[in-house]
Amino acid sequence: MTWLAIFLIVLGLFFLVVGSIGMLRLPDVFSRAHALSLTDSLGAILVLAGLAVYEGFNMNFLRILVVLVLIYLLNPVISHATIRAAYRSGLRPTDKESR
Amino acid sequence: MRIFAGFALFVLWLVLSASYNILHMATGAVVASMVVWLSPTGAPHVRRFSWLAALMYVPWLIGRILKSGFHVSRLILDPALPIAPELVRHKTKLSSDGELVVLGNSITLTPGTITVEVAPGELIVHALDVASCEELKSGLFDDRVGRLFSVKGDKK
Repeated sequence: MTWLAIFLIVLGLFFLVVGSIGMLRLPDVFSRAHALSLTDSLGAILVLAGLAVYEGFNMNFLRILVVLVLIYLLNPVISHATIRAAYRSGLRPTDKESR
Repeated sequence: MRIFAGFALFVLWLVLSASYNILHMATGAVVASMVVWLSPTGAPHVRRFSWLAALMYVPWLIGRILKSGFHVSRLILDPALPIAPELVRHKTKLSSDGELVVLGNSITLTPGTITVEVAPGELIVHALDVASCEELKSGLFDDRVGRLFSVKGDKK
């Protein structure tokens, strides 16, 4: 059980690191939001899932589960709101040529 | 119905706070009733929602997220950064609020695609590269989400 937890947490850390690298490397706000969805919907989730497995079934397990569900519901709403605000204020993604 | 919503919020507070003295529980009760009081009344008409289909949908979505997560990781770690971002107009058959929320959230959760604008029947999606939006264009997401909401309970 501990090894499964370690595997999940390391995989989650991998996605967190890649997401941070993407945040620096990608050119504009639209493509950077993709790096954000990588860190949130995979990185944070896998780390939390690893913690839940490590805890076993108790009150903390239930609490982590609630946080997991909340992240899955709220994270896309927030990144959608950010991107829509950028789009409506006139920002457009850089296309293939101008990169 | 609102009583149930308030009670559910209160239970959520109890699970998350885990301190069961008078002060904390009273705070939870006050906050839960405030949220219910402030939220808009008159629940919108909801088409029938299939929990069985939802049970099938969630593992499928997690699989999709993992697969495209590795794809996007490869794009980011590639020294040449082979991305081709573009805005895609995605026509969809879905039009009710519930369907659009689930579809838009699923698209945003999947790395490589983000919902930019939502209107009934049409979404503007930003895709990181061509491969990212291919599955979306094939209409697989729409079919899956459409299966969550059956048409039978639909009466206006």
